[in-house]
Amino acid sequence: MSSEPPDTTDGRDPAHEPTGKIAVENVQKVFGRIVALENVTLSIRENEILALVGDNGAGKSTLMNVLSGVHEPTSGEIYLDGESVEFDSPESARNRGIETVYQDLALMDDLDVATNIFMGNFPATEIGPFRSIDWDETYERAEAIIETHLKRDIDPHAEVAFHSGGERQLVAIARALAFDPDIVILDEPTSALSVDATALVRETVRNLRDNGKTIIVVSHSLDEIFQLADRVGVLYQGEIVEVASTDSVTKDDLSSLMVSGERS
Amino acid sequence: MRTSNIVTRQFDRLPEQSVLILLENMIWPILAVISLLVLAFVPRVFTNTATLQLMLFAAVPLGLIVLAESVCLLSGHFDLSVGAIAGFSAVLTAMILAEWSLVSNPILGVVIVVAVGCVIGATNGIMIATFGVNPFLQTLAFFVIFGGGKLALTTQPISGLPDGYTALGSSPIVAIGVLLASFVFMAVIFRYTHFGQAVYAVGSDKEAARAVGINTERTIILVYTLSGFFCALAGLMLTGYTGLVSPDIADDMVFSAFAAAIIGGISLFGGRGKLLGALGGVLLLSLIETSLNVAGFDPTLIEVVNGIVLLIAILLYNTKANIRDRVLSAGAST
Repeated sequence: MSSEPPDTTDGRDPAHEPTGKIAVENVQKVFGRIVALENVTLSIRENEILALVGDNGAGKSTLMNVLSGVHEPTSGEIYLDGESVEFDSPESARNRGIETVYQDLALMDDLDVATNIFMGNFPATEIGPFRSIDWDETYERAEAIIETHLKRDIDPHAEVAFHSGGERQLVAIARALAFDPDIVILDEPTSALSVDATALVRETVRNLRDNGKTIIVVSHSLDEIFQLADRVGVLYQGEIVEVASTDSVTKDDLSSLMVSGERS
Repeated sequence: MRTSNIVTRQFDRLPEQSVLILLENMIWPILAVISLLVLAFVPRVFTNTATLQLMLFAAVPLGLIVLAESVCLLSGHFDLSVGAIAGFSAVLTAMILAEWSLVSNPILGVVIVVAVGCVIGATNGIMIATFGVNPFLQTLAFFVIFGGGKLALTTQPISGLPDGYTALGSSPIVAIGVLLASFVFMAVIFRYTHFGQAVYAVGSDKEAARAVGINTERTIILVYTLSGFFCALAGLMLTGYTGLVSPDIADDMVFSAFAAAIIGGISLFGGRGKLLGALGGVLLLSLIETSLNVAGFDPTLIEVVNGIVLLIAILLYNTKANIRDRVLSAGAST
């Protein structure tokens, strides 16, 4: 029962494109009496980095959660490769190729890198009716993900607690990649990181895009947006007020859009 | 080329990782040192096969209770009720078999004792995982309820149990085999199954485990059910070992269970440790107790020594945790 989402571009930059990898159409999300998202229409192109920005309470986390299956929209549609889809859980989004790396990373410090990457998703061998974790395969695949996607030598056998903030962020990204997603959503990927670690994570995210992934970055950092994203979508009081190429807006424009919903 | 870099990095961190590996497995050098001391001062413990066999035989119930406690600890949860569950399961089943004569089939008796342990354990798990009761308080309540419950059932030792019911625990070879098989089986489960790794994940960080899709509630309930199962098995072994069920059966075993688990390298806060290390802790406690017995120490003094071993285990745990923190902070900053 798929349908093509209508074109609602405003001429300045396409806020919605039927050819987008993932799109939301007139999405509304209501919590009790609070309207967190109101008629949000947005399309993310294949193989781009789109940043979602907004002030606190603007709705960026809610939109991220709608895309990652944590929240079901109250109304509106989600399109994946032009097909209308419904996500009723993070697992359903994962099954359609969407992975999310949350701000708190959800890492288990006592366990090693490979175990964190494949927790809940271990390569296994069938022994009669039983499934036994294949540890050789687990470490080999973890190493392959690290080598292919991460610009850092991370030992899959080392405990996560051994690693710096930037490396921990990379491990969380590697875990998302273990499911071979088409779309990766990153929630504040560089908050609380040092300058070096921030550069490391940004380089990795760009590498993911270059390897064919579609990336959505939720961020409050304007520096991050201009250094990382191809396009930026601005949320203001639950609505998308601007979607533009990062080449076509300034920091002042974004600041103004975040604070007042209008360009300066 | 990147693989070689990873290998280089492994070597860069080799000293720190070696320290951590040594800390995690410190039970084995401790056991070796104590064994040498015993060999030097009480050689009869090792030279007399019967003494050695008796030591291992007597260690079986404690070993199973340590296994029950370790499974909980690895998931980041306490269980103060392990001894009470073992005792209550054994007393209730003995009442059913011998006093009330409701059942005479020994196999059915084994099924009942295990079922009682599993139901109590599962109830612990449901209260903690589903209703959010603090594990310490929940299992403390069950420690009191079932510790008192077995006294309410009987104040006299129960004898006249079917031979088949006591057979498992009365044969040293079978009982030791059950203990070793239980540890090896659970070690394999914890290493090679998703459930085992989920237990480590929940013990390391419950919220993170939930975020990666682990059903933490089900995992915790299953952990406590397994704990109840091994407690009941310990009760069955104790029954076989003594041939009767006394009202004070399995009393105070919880403290020795903690000591053995901690000194065996199981983290008090979950996520770290190996079950075979806990088995090493059991062997250590049994070796010390047997050696003191053989050397002719007053049995009342042995309790004091057990307390001192618990204190040493806690001090070692604290020292280990401090060293580990220092090693990790040095490693994370490189």
